[in-house]
Amino acid sequence: MMAPMELIIELILMPLVAFVVGMMMVLMMRRIAAKLQRRIGPPFFQPLYDIVKLHSKQTQISHGLIHDIGIVMAMGGYIAAETLLPVPGMTGIAEKGGIITLLYLMMIPSLGLALGVGQCANPNGSIGIARALTAMLAYDIPLVIVIFGVAYAAGTTNLVDIIAVQQAGGFETWGAVQMPVLAIAGLIAMHASLGKQPFEIYIAPAEIATGPMVEMSGKYLGGLFVMQCFQLYTTSVLYVSLFLGGGTTWFDFLLKSFLVLAIPVSIAYLFPRYRTEDLLRLMWKWPVMLGLIGVAFVL
Amino acid sequence: MSSIKQIPVITERKGNPLARVFDEFVRFCRSRSLFILHYCTGCGAIELPPAMTSRFDMERLGIQPMVSPRQADILLITGYVSIKTLKRVILTYEQMGSPKYVIGICSCTVNGGMYWQSYATAKKLDEYMPVDLYIAGCMPRPEAVLAGLQKLMDRIHSGEANSWEDYFRNYDYYLGNQQKLFGENWQTPTDIITEAKHYDLIGEGTLGKHTQLLEQHQKPLEALDMRLGHDLKEPTE
Ligand code: SF4
Repeated sequence: MMAPMELIIELILMPLVAFVVGMMMVLMMRRIAAKLQRRIGPPFFQPLYDIVKLHSKQTQISHGLIHDIGIVMAMGGYIAAETLLPVPGMTGIAEKGGIITLLYLMMIPSLGLALGVGQCANPNGSIGIARALTAMLAYDIPLVIVIFGVAYAAGTTNLVDIIAVQQAGGFETWGAVQMPVLAIAGLIAMHASLGKQPFEIYIAPAEIATGPMVEMSGKYLGGLFVMQCFQLYTTSVLYVSLFLGGGTTWFDFLLKSFLVLAIPVSIAYLFPRYRTEDLLRLMWKWPVMLGLIGVAFVL
Repeated sequence: MSSIKQIPVITERKGNPLARVFDEFVRFCRSRSLFILHYCTGCGAIELPPAMTSRFDMERLGIQPMVSPRQADILLITGYVSIKTLKRVILTYEQMGSPKYVIGICSCTVNGGMYWQSYATAKKLDEYMPVDLYIAGCMPRPEAVLAGLQKLMDRIHSGEANSWEDYFRNYDYYLGNQQKLFGENWQTPTDIITEAKHYDLIGEGTLGKHTQLLEQHQKPLEALDMRLGHDLKEPTE
């Protein structure tokens, strides 16, 4: 049992760390895109400049109370999720929360966005959010199957224990080595949950003008930029904790998270975009099938 | 719009030396992160893709394209604006969040260019909205576009690029020119005068005889109702 003071410090530190690492992940994503397109790419502090600039806009166009609350929910869901993700040296409330709470918390941002965008009354935004919720339905099923498989194999839904089980025997006990089929299914589901290119149905700048973000300006868009940092961090760290044995030191923890994120991001910029029903069909067929096979191996 | 009125607006800071540092930092960030909305009105738009992609790569300067006026900082007018287009340009401009900048690319935005004798184009862009920067040429090369953008970045950093305030302070002038072109019933969905009052940007030229004319026929703004499909029986304008 840790002292309450220590816990409070951890609860503040964990989202902060997530934010800083998340900004670097955004930078990495944009640099990878630039490299693939043979460009130089943005400078090192570009994500920070963007966020500061957006928050310092002089006219902030609000569409009403629910719009404000929606953005707070979108960010808050992820901030709460960070406290449930153990990092080296800090576990926060991960032991008490468990992986199922985490899964629920990761859905809140989409719902918050849906609320906020609803009040903007922009048809592009509504189409976007309808697609975002459909996409959530698509990738959550394989994700839940994968998480169930991992939790069953480890015999617990406690993320700290899952990591401890994997770290017990070195490389051979990693989830990805023990359950390779589940790991692949998890990677596909994670790619879809990032909303990157082949699955980028709800942003789709050329078709529905960035969907949920279409009416966001100033600090509202800034909030969504912050949310994106958290989203990248949460997704990759969750994958690392489930399949790559978490991290014993900060160095290998960050290395693993960045490498894991680099896979979907590098694939993303080579592809155009699927349609919504194609995404559903694809998600409910391949990752679900792989996930079920993986679970069958585990059982 | 009651919620908008409650946001306190800080107009000046004095005393605190840290505030200066903070303002400087904010100005630097503003100049280093520019989202452009390229409203491609004329031929000049063809020079933007090379400026954005691998050859010249705008993103290394922190400039990236955005798709909706709400998100954008810079409105790029790339060439001649016909009178019909100009209406849309003005609606777009008014919906952008301040600080916002307008760049006129191509000679056609400066003085009408080769469309000087056309009945259907607006000649000088800065009669209808404040323009921060012109990049002349028919059409300017991507190098010129990038040089212009860098110049704008310098001006933002030094705090000179605040012509967006001019639209509030001299609204009567701009509205007068717009009315001359579009007729007296011209009205945009954005209530500039209320915004100017709210953000404390009322100048000597905000109200005048043109805004009086606007107030006479101004219809109050209503929220659009959301529904799927179109009611074909409804009379359209
Ligand atoms: S200046 Fe030349 S290139 Fe540019 S819009 Fe006019 S005619 Fe076209």
